[in-house]
Amino acid sequence: MIRDITLGQYYPEYSKIHRLDPRLKIIVTLVYIISLFFIEDFGGYIIVFAAVAAVTALSKVPLRFMLRGLKPIILIIIFTFTLNMLMTKGTILWEWKFIRITEEGLYNAIFMALRLIFLIIGSSLLTLTTKPIKLTDGIECLLKPFKRFGLPAHELAMMMTIALRFIPTLLEETDKIMKAQQARGADFETGGLIRRAKALTPLLVPLFVGAFRIAQELAMAMEARCYHGGEGRTKLNVLKFRGYDAFAIVVAAVYLCAVAAERIFI
Amino acid sequence: MNREKKKLSLRFWVQAAVIGGVYAALTMALAPISYGPIQVRVSEALTILPYFTPAAIPGLFVGCFVANTISFYGVPDMVFGSLATLAGAFLSYRLRARPWLVPLPPIVVNGAVIGAMLYFVYGVPPSLPIDMAWVALGECLSCCALGYPLLKYLKRHEGIFRL
Repeated sequence: MIRDITLGQYYPEYSKIHRLDPRLKIIVTLVYIISLFFIEDFGGYIIVFAAVAAVTALSKVPLRFMLRGLKPIILIIIFTFTLNMLMTKGTILWEWKFIRITEEGLYNAIFMALRLIFLIIGSSLLTLTTKPIKLTDGIECLLKPFKRFGLPAHELAMMMTIALRFIPTLLEETDKIMKAQQARGADFETGGLIRRAKALTPLLVPLFVGAFRIAQELAMAMEARCYHGGEGRTKLNVLKFRGYDAFAIVVAAVYLCAVAAERIFI
Repeated sequence: MNREKKKLSLRFWVQAAVIGGVYAALTMALAPISYGPIQVRVSEALTILPYFTPAAIPGLFVGCFVANTISFYGVPDMVFGSLATLAGAFLSYRLRARPWLVPLPPIVVNGAVIGAMLYFVYGVPPSLPIDMAWVALGECLSCCALGYPLLKYLKRHEGIFRL
């Protein structure tokens, strides 16, 4: 079970979107999410669709890959669509016993389902096109101004990097402990969900012992290399704004203006 | 003295990072039940860890953030999910004098924050209280049915958390 896990959503590709500065991608994604809540009719979604389609095409992430990723959220989309459709009052289109579909309900259901799909696809483009380490670098840079308010920006980024680095090691460790305990008669595969989850409890002690041993060794290695936090520390890969980042800012501004114009004038 | 403090601080952050790694690894190992509105995130049982060490507060925050980067619920889940975990972990730490109350904050905070996120951001009907209750129920399963027994179990091995 444990070996089949895909770590992260990142889709490796050499595209313009992949090469964009992660700080810019984070900011643009946040702006995009906020912009979705300013859209009041389907006209606005045409602009959003055009923007998402263009970015997806430029990112070279296959459409099949994107749609496959939507699978886990189909349930939530159907759930949202059905309840919105049935629970909105208005002009009745179709009625059977207590089930009533209204014109407003149908409009609302399609509108909300589309917002959900655009929200998820659009914001997933960030994680699909940005390596987790780059994402961490970007977050660290963006959080730096908050350092003066006591936010440990560097420490947070360091923790994220260590956590990401050790996930495969910890998964392997979990696998090893599970097999060792199974060889001694532990049962992780029968019973209900709660019973199976409870069976995992004894697994956590050796897992934590192993994990904290790793932490101890890592801290010692860092101390031995004179690690002293973010102050004066240089980076191997320094984030730099390039020409196409500036172009992306212009495109994002055009998108925002189009959304605003659609809302005001149409 | 200062050197000793710095060393302790580094160990604190590295321990926090590894706790985050364990949280993320468990969430990913048990996907897809770890994600979505109807989720039982077994790793949420780890929200009792602030009882043993304050390093679990930033650790769980980072773990949740990293785990949510692979969720297809996008950026809102990464931001609100991890902030809710951070608030829950902090409150659990403050309640450590009463161990039976430790699993409670993650249930309340996640129910409120994630429920509100599902309702306002993702537009999941029917109503805000029902969305909140729904999330809190899943969280209750992880924190009470798994978290509290884990707390009692780990109490016997408290030494492993010493820095």
